[in-house]
Amino acid sequence: DDQDEVNQNYLADEEEEAEEEARGMVVPDLEEEEEEEEGQEAEEEEIEEEKEEEEGQGPPTGNAWWQKLQTVSEYLWDPEKRMSLARTGQSWSLILVIYFFFYASLAAVITLCMYTLFLTISPYMPTFTERVKPPGVMIRPFAHSLNFNFNVSEPDTWQHYVISLNGFLQGYNDSLQEEMNVDCPPGQYFIQDGNEDEDKKACQFKRSFLKNCSGLEDPTFGYSTGQPCILLKMNRIVGFRPELGDPVKVSCKVQRGDENDIRSINYYPESASFDLRYYPYYGKLTHVNYTSPLVAMHFTDVVKNQAVPVQCQLKGKGIINDVINDRFVGRVIFTLNIET
Amino acid sequence: MSHVSVNLHLLVKPEVRGIRGNGPGSPRPPSASVRNAEPAREAKKTLEIYSVELSGTKDIAQTDKADGKEKYRGLKNRFEPRKNHQKEELKKELDLDDHKLSIKELEEKYSTNIITGLSSTQAAALLAQNGPNALTPPKETPEIIKFLKQMVGGFSILLWVGAILCWIAYGIQYSMNKSSSLDNVYLGCVLALVVILTGVFAYYQEAKSTNIMATFNKMIPQQALVIRDSEKKTVPAEQLVVGDIVEIKGGDRIPADIRLLSVQGCKVDNSSLTGESEPQARSSEFTHDNALETKNIGFYSTTCLEGTASGMVINTGDRTVIGQIASLASGVGDEKTPIAIEIEHFVHIVGGVAISIGILFFIIAVSLKYHVLDSIIFLIGIIVANVPEGLLATVTVTLSLTAKRMAKKNCLVKNLEAVETLGSTSIICSDKTGTLTQNRMTVAHLWFDNQIFIADTSEDHSNQVFDQSSGTWASLSKIITLCNRAEFRPGQENVPIMKRVVVGDASETALLKFSEVILGDVMEIRKRNHKVAEIPFNSTNKFQLSIHKTDDPNDKRFLMVMKGAPERILEKCSTIMVNGQEQPLDESTAEAFHTAYMELGGLGERVLGFCHLYLPADEFPESYSFDVDAMNFPTSNLCFVGLLSMIDPPRSTVPDAVTKCRSAGIKVIMVTGDHPITAKAIAKSVGIISANSETVEDIAKRLHIAVEQVNKREAKAAVVTGTELKDMSPEQLDELLTNYSEIVFARTSPQQKLIIVEGCQRQNAVVAVTGDGVNDSPALKKADIGIAMGIAGSDAAKNAADMVLLDDNFASIVTGVEEGRLIFDNLKKTIAYTLTKNIAELCPFLIYIIVGLPLPIGTITILFIDLGTDIIPSIALAYEKAESDIMNRKPRHKKKDRLVNQQLAIYSYLHIGLMQAVGAFVVYLTVYAQEGFTPGILTNLRVAWENGNVNDLEDSYGQQWTWYQRKYLEWTGYTAFFVGIMVQQIADLLIRKTRRNSIFRQGLFRNKVIWLGIASQIIIALILSYGLGSVTALNFTMLRPQYWFVAVPYAILIWVYDEVRKLFIRLYPGSWWDKNMYY
Repeated sequence: DDQDEVNQNYLADEEEEAEEEARGMVVPDLEEEEEEEEGQEAEEEEIEEEKEEEEGQGPPTGNAWWQKLQTVSEYLWDPEKRMSLARTGQSWSLILVIYFFFYASLAAVITLCMYTLFLTISPYMPTFTERVKPPGVMIRPFAHSLNFNFNVSEPDTWQHYVISLNGFLQGYNDSLQEEMNVDCPPGQYFIQDGNEDEDKKACQFKRSFLKNCSGLEDPTFGYSTGQPCILLKMNRIVGFRPELGDPVKVSCKVQRGDENDIRSINYYPESASFDLRYYPYYGKLTHVNYTSPLVAMHFTDVVKNQAVPVQCQLKGKGIINDVINDRFVGRVIFTLNIET
Repeated sequence: MSHVSVNLHLLVKPEVRGIRGNGPGSPRPPSASVRNAEPAREAKKTLEIYSVELSGTKDIAQTDKADGKEKYRGLKNRFEPRKNHQKEELKKELDLDDHKLSIKELEEKYSTNIITGLSSTQAAALLAQNGPNALTPPKETPEIIKFLKQMVGGFSILLWVGAILCWIAYGIQYSMNKSSSLDNVYLGCVLALVVILTGVFAYYQEAKSTNIMATFNKMIPQQALVIRDSEKKTVPAEQLVVGDIVEIKGGDRIPADIRLLSVQGCKVDNSSLTGESEPQARSSEFTHDNALETKNIGFYSTTCLEGTASGMVINTGDRTVIGQIASLASGVGDEKTPIAIEIEHFVHIVGGVAISIGILFFIIAVSLKYHVLDSIIFLIGIIVANVPEGLLATVTVTLSLTAKRMAKKNCLVKNLEAVETLGSTSIICSDKTGTLTQNRMTVAHLWFDNQIFIADTSEDHSNQVFDQSSGTWASLSKIITLCNRAEFRPGQENVPIMKRVVVGDASETALLKFSEVILGDVMEIRKRNHKVAEIPFNSTNKFQLSIHKTDDPNDKRFLMVMKGAPERILEKCSTIMVNGQEQPLDESTAEAFHTAYMELGGLGERVLGFCHLYLPADEFPESYSFDVDAMNFPTSNLCFVGLLSMIDPPRSTVPDAVTKCRSAGIKVIMVTGDHPITAKAIAKSVGIISANSETVEDIAKRLHIAVEQVNKREAKAAVVTGTELKDMSPEQLDELLTNYSEIVFARTSPQQKLIIVEGCQRQNAVVAVTGDGVNDSPALKKADIGIAMGIAGSDAAKNAADMVLLDDNFASIVTGVEEGRLIFDNLKKTIAYTLTKNIAELCPFLIYIIVGLPLPIGTITILFIDLGTDIIPSIALAYEKAESDIMNRKPRHKKKDRLVNQQLAIYSYLHIGLMQAVGAFVVYLTVYAQEGFTPGILTNLRVAWENGNVNDLEDSYGQQWTWYQRKYLEWTGYTAFFVGIMVQQIADLLIRKTRRNSIFRQGLFRNKVIWLGIASQIIIALILSYGLGSVTALNFTMLRPQYWFVAVPYAILIWVYDEVRKLFIRLYPGSWWDKNMYY
């Protein structure tokens, strides 16, 4: 039995050591866990053994608990043999060294692999883009939900939309755009050849393009009059180009229910499309100032006091807007519930 | 229990009867121990002792009386001292006094009348009082309980806990978010399903072997002919009551324990009680103190072979001797199988690991400001992730594969877990008769012309090579042929001689078959030598005699042939035949006779003497009428021809098997009810006592000193009788078992068999017991693995056993040991293989919690590894051949050599498991990076990633992803991680083929099933990815082909690492590395 115990303890230490090393090392958490387990195991086994002993010897010989405690404490630190967890200092250091080297080399292997991985992928251009295509659509203002519920006469209910839009459009301020970006010719791709790593210029998209929805004339973006502006943007995809001569258009309609719930929508820019000059996108590393083009939808006449589900879709070649599982690819659905 | 034990020690030396029974037999010559001193006188002295068996059992009764009733009291009493013990004992022994009572006393005792029987009313009253005459069936576990047991043992518990935790987790999730994912419910259901299916499978497997065995009911006789109300009636045997007068005839099963009142040539087969199938004569006389030895008792469930008898029922139902043994057997608890203990240990380890990691990460999660409920779900997730879902099924299938393989080799395993037990066995307690021996008398030696000849005792007798040219042999063969009443049952011309059924007792059968093999058609020879007179064997004469006309037409003399106890035969002789010539019998020839006689007797053989006389034609003309009663012919001054000795020979395969057990470190102990001399002789001939080892007695004899003076350490072997055993304290028995490597227990009772088994188990040994009789069944049950004989075995023995040898061949045990050890090794490999990927499956979840990466692998995907790709490979490991000669190593130590030890767990978890995790992570990170999410941006992305309202999440390139696009990428990540693990599991599978040897030494292609497993792994993965990649519920996607190869370098790394590990283990045995890295 004694031998057994020693054996087991010995084993147990190993594990613990392993854990300890690990602690100081790459995967600290994992190892700690295991330490614990193993400690437990060892204890469990001791208990088992003791039980067995008892069975073997018939009636237990009093203060068994005290003995047990002693065994455990001796196991933790045996002053006679100078062993902790049944392992001498030498043994402990050997284990620590070996595991240190093992995990160090494992870490080195990971590092090497990651290094190789980064060698094989370009920082400018993703290796594959098929998962992110076709482009998704998102709207602003966005505050946790796609339900626009507000009461015209209660500014508190729509104030956060206004703040959100204002914040969003800061980057589109005309002054900023004029300073940072170039005015490029509309109706054609803004192709910038040259080296991958050269910085790319971006086309201006000025806030003033959004006219009534720019927040310049009406700082409440129409919310105070029950004619909310909602901005729609298409997800950026590196290298994505809409069909030449056929810019992606946006059109909104009532998704379910009476078509006449929305009697008129104004789009800004009036073409309701994303101009080709904003494409292609060269990725955030070189195309630093790229400004996503927007289409603003001004719901100037919507039925009040009832929820109106609206679906805005992108239309154009290479655009898919009817994926069943993904309700944000090529389209976006939201509800307007304007109370007066 | 105690009262049973008292009773059972009465089952004394059943085997004695078997061998030395009633044949025209022979006194057993003096034991070898007295051989050297004054042979003639010694012979006479010992003859007195050994003649007891011939003259019925009266003499033995006398010798036994000396130690009286104490004699067979079990050791058991010592173990459980009880105050009321004595009383109970007394009572029980009184119960068995019926054989001593006269008929009058019996009539009084049972208030019956042997002419008229009981009255119906009396019978009805007694029946109501004592219950029906039937054995209470062993507490049959209802099928449903058996079935449920399969579902809650060891592993299954782990899975159930996992399943329940899953449902709890879902409950928590649901309470937080009504639309939470159903993954946890599915997982719980799958876990439950795995347990149920595996349980059904295991139940079915065991039911199959149980059905083969379900014959116990056959033991109960159906009808009995009973005298009641002065009329003979046929009543169901169950309605018999004490005091009934029953009549039995040949072919009947005896319906209760009966005291025989009148007997006509009745012989019974007590094999169901004693395991000895030799017919035993019954008579109405009280012949022995011991109820089991006396001839006037017939035992319940034994068979009446021939003749008729009437008797009085003295015990019914469970109070019969067999009923008591049966209840003793059912009173012995079933031991947990070693593999069950190992699996329990494994469950502890896995459970400990799971709970520790779970709690640790719970704390970490809470301190990382996770919601407590989320943390609990993590906790549960971690615990469940640690459950090896596939292992239960794998282990069950593996065990049943081995069971099937063993069944093919004639080892039928009743309890799946017992498959491994034989492999752990360190002591085999083997019964002698029928297991080690062929259970039939066979001619072993001949002595004529002053020479001992060895006869072939192999199973087919085919190779009789002794010199048959001597004229003495011609005469001897004639006596053997003619002085014999045994006959082949007709219609067996096409049956091999040794297998033919013979009418006659064991000795005569042996002689008949012997002569038939050598001389050809014995019946024809007998026909040609017409028998004119005959005196059959009886115990007063101790010889058998017959007078024949010879087949020599020129010789008109009658030939008188005689056989019998050698010393009696010799007394009647004045001449001896040497080389075909009659010579006067002088001192020197007489001495030669005695030497031979004792030598054969020392071999434990039954010796018969043969003589003949040609009656002079003038005194006995052809018309002479012989009168056997008046003995009007000479019976002295005959011509002694030779001796012939018989033994129940060992099976030819046994010595080899015993040697193999020896080299496998298994101690083989013989435990028999037979006489010590016979037992020792057989033990020597099969190698249980090896050729060069001596007992204390042998040494004493060799050195001519008293037994007490012998240094006990010098003796390796010991022959211990039941009487000696009775006087031993448990400590002494322990000492005996540890100090002697070769032990034979002779004349033991069932109770003592049980004590011996317990003694062995006290040495921490895993004990296998082989046996065939009802008397063995308690020991069979008590043993870690009980092995019953399939052909000769009684149903009770088969019922109590865990394994049945269908061919009764001890050698099959060796196969069992080999298979058991192999399965243990291979289970180790299987578990190591399975545990490894557990870490690779768990790490992603831990990293997900801590680092906040998108989840690398989902629950369903993990299930497809555990229950999909990994199943066939892990079963394939069961087909792995042994690394070294497993039959040359010691049996494993119950407590030290665990199935799952720390080394295995550490090496699987912390070495290979982590390497695997790293490899799989590289595949995962590669996929994400190539799609746009480099590892840097993934960190702490979890919350935004999983938010369904964020549909423009930016990746490293500034691209924006909708939620569903990310989800799809996540599934691609799952698939990638899955493929990463799968590829590395191939390497894992290959390295697990061996634990010490290089894979190349083991041979990469020797185990074809491994390659089938690898193929299945790849095919399943391909189907999941490319076939089912469009089924969104399964979370698999079509993975770009190049990703399948990303983990290959890691697979190679694993292989290389393990080869290096094994290399160091081989290079530095016993080193730190060996101790820590060998599992």
